[in-house]
Amino acid sequence: MKALTANRLDDGEVVFWNKGAWVERFADAELFADDASGEAAEGAGKSQPNTVIDVYLIDLIESEGLWAPLSFRERIRALGPLNHPTHGKQAEGGAAIEALRHAAGASRSTGRVNLIKRK
Amino acid sequence: MYQYDTIDREFLADRAAEFKEQVERRLAGEITEDQFKMLRLRNGLYLQLHAYMLRVAIPYGSLNATQLRKLADIGRRYDKGYGHFTTRTNLQFHWIKLREAPAILEELATVDLHAIQTSGNCIRNVTSDPYAGATAEEIDDPRVWSEAIRQWSMLHPEFSHLPRKFKFAVTAAPKDRTAARVHDIGLVVRRARDGTMGFEVIVGGGMGRTPYVGPTIREFLPANRLFSYLDATLRVYNRHGRRDNSYKARIKILVAALGREEFARQVEEEWEKVGAGADMPDTEIARIRAAFAPKAFDTLVNRSEAFETAKAADPAFARFARNNLKPHKRPGYTIVEISLKGIGDTPGDATSDQMDVVADLGERYGQNDIRITHEQNLVLPHVKLDDAHAVFQALAAAGLATPNINLITDIIACPGLDYCALANARAIPIAQDIAHRFADQDRAELVGELKIKISGCINACGHHHVGHIGILGVDKKGEEFYQLTLGGSGAEDAEVGKMLGPALPADRVTDAIDTIVEVYLRERVEGERFLDTFRRTGSAPFKEAVYAEAH
Repeated sequence: MKALTANRLDDGEVVFWNKGAWVERFADAELFADDASGEAAEGAGKSQPNTVIDVYLIDLIESEGLWAPLSFRERIRALGPLNHPTHGKQAEGGAAIEALRHAAGASRSTGRVNLIKRK
Repeated sequence: MYQYDTIDREFLADRAAEFKEQVERRLAGEITEDQFKMLRLRNGLYLQLHAYMLRVAIPYGSLNATQLRKLADIGRRYDKGYGHFTTRTNLQFHWIKLREAPAILEELATVDLHAIQTSGNCIRNVTSDPYAGATAEEIDDPRVWSEAIRQWSMLHPEFSHLPRKFKFAVTAAPKDRTAARVHDIGLVVRRARDGTMGFEVIVGGGMGRTPYVGPTIREFLPANRLFSYLDATLRVYNRHGRRDNSYKARIKILVAALGREEFARQVEEEWEKVGAGADMPDTEIARIRAAFAPKAFDTLVNRSEAFETAKAADPAFARFARNNLKPHKRPGYTIVEISLKGIGDTPGDATSDQMDVVADLGERYGQNDIRITHEQNLVLPHVKLDDAHAVFQALAAAGLATPNINLITDIIACPGLDYCALANARAIPIAQDIAHRFADQDRAELVGELKIKISGCINACGHHHVGHIGILGVDKKGEEFYQLTLGGSGAEDAEVGKMLGPALPADRVTDAIDTIVEVYLRERVEGERFLDTFRRTGSAPFKEAVYAEAH
């Protein structure tokens, strides 16, 4: 399973793709079960270079019955800095945030590795 | 403090206006991210994990109260009510919006601050001694030379596209509080036997992927020849630095490849071509020096009855005085170090309210002079001993009176993976966990001077190579592991720490530090700091204890 992420150009906010729109909560992200649908969304996301920057796909794992980013870095992006629990998306709390906090597992996202390689 | 003139101020206002237009064009889609990225970085604006980060330059770590209040105000209005002081004595705001960044630059310009040369392959902000102008140890005021270097390097066209970034440190005291020997160029003010002032020139130190303690390429450079010599040094670097490989592009790699003697020879050869015409005129140095004229100190006696009485009556103040007050060159005065390492806090973070408190204290008790240290603390360099208790009480009320300067809980940590796009692992929670373990001040004082420095990646913003105990976060198949090094020093006895053994998982790090401390307490002889004991015993007893427990 994958999701598509980026940072919003005008404020740097971490955003996720959902059916043509960019949303702020990971819990609202569209999930892609197959490579083709993820890559199609990635192409569509990258066609908006004046809305978002650094568009890439992230790999997901199951956590507490919900999906969470596989990479720890991506979980921190989806939560906020862990030293300030009231800063960033994690401040909202709830089951979706807890699932992110408790997720384990940890390799880098393949999408980001590709992004770095391209740079 | 150096005062900007009308031209400086107009330039900063113009620069902010220029950036405003550039941001508007980017947001309107008139320029691409590839075109824009260089422009925003040239104004200190990075994209990190959660938002943009603005790195504000604090020239040689020196601020007045008005400037610190402005930083507090920006933190409150444009960030989340705080800022992060870095190992380069800059301030980073971590929650900046691109659309608001131009307004912040406009605000900074109103108090002579900016974010120029806080990114890119140029000469960055100069690090200097936070005790400058206050310590009796110094031969000269290093801020004079730091400011002269700032003026010489600011937007210097020849040195704006170096092979890689370039960092200076300038100190004039035998006790090095600038990490001069691990900078690209470290300048140590020396006085010749005939009284002439000059510099020991250290080139090619650095941390990161390939750490080096810089060699001295000239024992004594007459002060009035500084800038032609710097021109020559930078030219040799600009000509031969490895632009083909960013990992090998810093000057330290060139100096190591050529060898100290050959690098020095090439600089001398170039220096002859440059000639004295490139030196800064004595009159200009004198003009800059006037801005750092000694403060008007009252004539006081060494002993302050108010200070002694307060120490006797208030044990917390006595402890603070023991650890955070440092000797001042004038009788009846003291240097106050303000720790930004409260137990469990994020190293280097200060809230806007705390910044306001320090600004008020600096203005009321400290001759309007505030310093930032490369160890991520603040300093009020000129406080009367008579006022020290009042300053302590105000700091304590603001959560800023942690009495741990140079102790095991005075930990340097970079922002790490909690914020930084480059990091492989978190640094902050490791610092917090160690600080909690050693929260007992009696134990921390028993251990004595012990500098722990933590970086979340090999770029070494947390100076782990020169920590007495260094901790480097590494990524092992996506999991956070931490590599320990022992015996490093960023001071006058600079040394790169030695790797202790295999990296440890996060939950083993604090226990390992505890074990290392216990070995030190067991092994040390009278008067030895941790570093002294380690240098005498070597790694063996520490390695044996840490890895015996790890298995």
